[in-house]
Amino acid sequence: MKVLKVSNWTIAAFVLPCLIIYIGLVFVPIGVSVYTSFLDWNGIVPIGMAKHVGFDNYHRMFTGDSVFWPSVRRTFLLAGFSMLIQLPLALLVAILIGRYTRKANFLVSSYFLPVILSVVVIGQLWKTIYNPASQGGMINQILDKIGLHSWTHNWLTDPKVAIYAIILVGLWQYLGYHLLIQFTGIQNIPADIYEAAKIDGADGFKADRYITLPMIVPIFKISFVLSFIGSLQSFDLIMVMTGGGPAHATDVVAMHMYNMSFLSQKYGYGSAVGTFLVAMCLLVTVLINFVFNRLEKRYS
Amino acid sequence: MKNGKKVLGVVTVAGLLAASLSACGSSNENDGNSAASPEPSASASASAPASSPAASESSGEKVTITFQNIYPDSSDPKYQMLHKIVSDYEAAHPNVKIELDSLNTDQQKLKLKTQAASKEVPDITIVNPKAQMQPFVDADLFAPLNDMVKQNGLADTFQTGILDPYTFNGNLYALPDGNNIGVLYYNKSLFQQAGIANPPTTFEELVADVKILKEKGITPLAIGEKDSWTGSFLFMNILLRTYGPGFLQDVTDGKTTFEDPAFLEAVKAFEDLVKAGAFQDGATSFDYNAGENLFKTGKSAMYYMGSWATGGIETAEVSKDGNVGVFKFPTVGGKGDPDEYMLAPGSAFAVSKNSKHLNETLDFLNYFMLNYPKELFGLKGAVGLAQKVEGDFKAAGYSDMAVTVLDLFKTVKGGDLSFDNTMNPATSQVHLSSIQNLFVTPDTDPAAVAKEHQQAYEDNK
Repeated sequence: MKVLKVSNWTIAAFVLPCLIIYIGLVFVPIGVSVYTSFLDWNGIVPIGMAKHVGFDNYHRMFTGDSVFWPSVRRTFLLAGFSMLIQLPLALLVAILIGRYTRKANFLVSSYFLPVILSVVVIGQLWKTIYNPASQGGMINQILDKIGLHSWTHNWLTDPKVAIYAIILVGLWQYLGYHLLIQFTGIQNIPADIYEAAKIDGADGFKADRYITLPMIVPIFKISFVLSFIGSLQSFDLIMVMTGGGPAHATDVVAMHMYNMSFLSQKYGYGSAVGTFLVAMCLLVTVLINFVFNRLEKRYS
Repeated sequence: MKNGKKVLGVVTVAGLLAASLSACGSSNENDGNSAASPEPSASASASAPASSPAASESSGEKVTITFQNIYPDSSDPKYQMLHKIVSDYEAAHPNVKIELDSLNTDQQKLKLKTQAASKEVPDITIVNPKAQMQPFVDADLFAPLNDMVKQNGLADTFQTGILDPYTFNGNLYALPDGNNIGVLYYNKSLFQQAGIANPPTTFEELVADVKILKEKGITPLAIGEKDSWTGSFLFMNILLRTYGPGFLQDVTDGKTTFEDPAFLEAVKAFEDLVKAGAFQDGATSFDYNAGENLFKTGKSAMYYMGSWATGGIETAEVSKDGNVGVFKFPTVGGKGDPDEYMLAPGSAFAVSKNSKHLNETLDFLNYFMLNYPKELFGLKGAVGLAQKVEGDFKAAGYSDMAVTVLDLFKTVKGGDLSFDNTMNPATSQVHLSSIQNLFVTPDTDPAAVAKEHQQAYEDNK
């Protein structure tokens, strides 16, 4: 079992600095927010003056908050779209690029471009695209031009469609990210397996079904977890594009946490929402790991 | 072995998500994490007074003062004034560097709250009067300015009584940048184009005019409702007409509730306005500056705003040849007195108690406020200041519109402060989003709006 020829103390000494920083920056703040979630605190007065209210914040969050559950629903909507559309699409494109192009790197980099752009830039860009035709919005102008006036919308200010308009931008932005991950995964599958399969008569999509898909499961898992957790925490894009409006129609959990903590100055309550978010992320991660471990076992 | 690997995997991923979580918290204001460590900051606040005299002794040392402000728009006279005074001061004090952090109003409010949570308030920041300031004062974040305003006669430059909304327990904590009233600006040539002779004097006329303008393809009223206080400010003026002054005070005193008929009537009137098509398409995605720019570029016929907007509008293209006029907010259903206004004692400059260079900061702010009215007067931005302005506006080349606004000030018989200056933040937030909702679903039952308000008020008493 012992791979390195050094003592455990040496290992500990090398790991320690990182571990301390990590605990200090990650676990301590989480612990503090769990603590503040039991307080009635506005975030400004010294924390010692805050009143302990037990589970009041949680009780109100689960039973008496008309914004909370819809924002949870929207958060999962985001995650769902990401799982069901973005990841399969990224995988499909990755397979196609791998098969039909010679200089694949250029294409992959192009798809990756939106990922390195600042979210603020992307938000402003798409805001302009979604604008009403009278304000120069591209989509609405095109719809007008081709005679589909009835399809035009106030994309970002109609409470029914605003969240989907934002989801689309998210899908567009991170498609390249997952494409890159999965493309790399596919490149790492040894070519001789495909050759052997070809001799046995498995070619094209048949080879994908029986070779690529099973062998990419571990990589796909990374993509899956990143995308799921990313969706649960989505905040910046929404902040830039709608600020959660109109009237909470695009609020997600992270947004609600922020609004409660800093706008309504109910820091304790915001911490309760934040704690819920952390718990949800942990739960989902464990769940995904469980499911994928079963999958991996089946295919290996 | 297998099991151990699994656990390791879970921990790694959990850590990853936690790391990105905390990154999310900090990316916006770059101090989200420090919210978690109140103890060191508490000790910092205790040691601050001791360290400030030392700072003043060595006045030759390099000093950087952060100045958070709400003048990001370079076409606005206030922007030019700010940069002029700062560079003048820096020229006279080579050792002092003023670092400007210019933000939109709503962004600044957010940023300050985040900073306050981690006790990292900039040396000079912006606060709003009364209820909005209260939590910061309670947390003892600001330095009293009582002594500072006595220097160089600064206190005497302010209008009588204007410092009261910034004074708590006898201590003055902030100096206002203005003293304003809510008015309606209108574009004369667009009114002419629609065949409307005079600005409306009743709300019913206003709604009728809105319909005429809309028919001609002109946006009737511009608004920046992504910054949700803008819609609230307009709504509160309607309420001021239907109820008279002091509604929120009466609610607080238990004399009435949000289910008062006057409140329902105001909601109904506001919905009528929205249904008539008063506001530009997608109003809730326009921030304050984008909304105001619609009016400034001649794309909308009317604009409701505090008189602080006068300077920016006056210097804009749309004001050429006296094209912009001003009128009082009309009566609603025959009720109300047009001489009662939405009153807006301005945003105000406050100094952080924990400032590393408290004396230098106070000295700069004193210089800044003394020169503030003079510089703005020259830049034609001196309408609606909290300080007395010497000089003849008309002779200095101010437009008729600006002079009209100044005349309106003389007619003020009282009025109300904005919702978020009077109510606690949590109730205000519910109110703001409730009004924002009316922009997209104007069919909401007024009783439901009232109930939502009442509920929020009782929950957050």
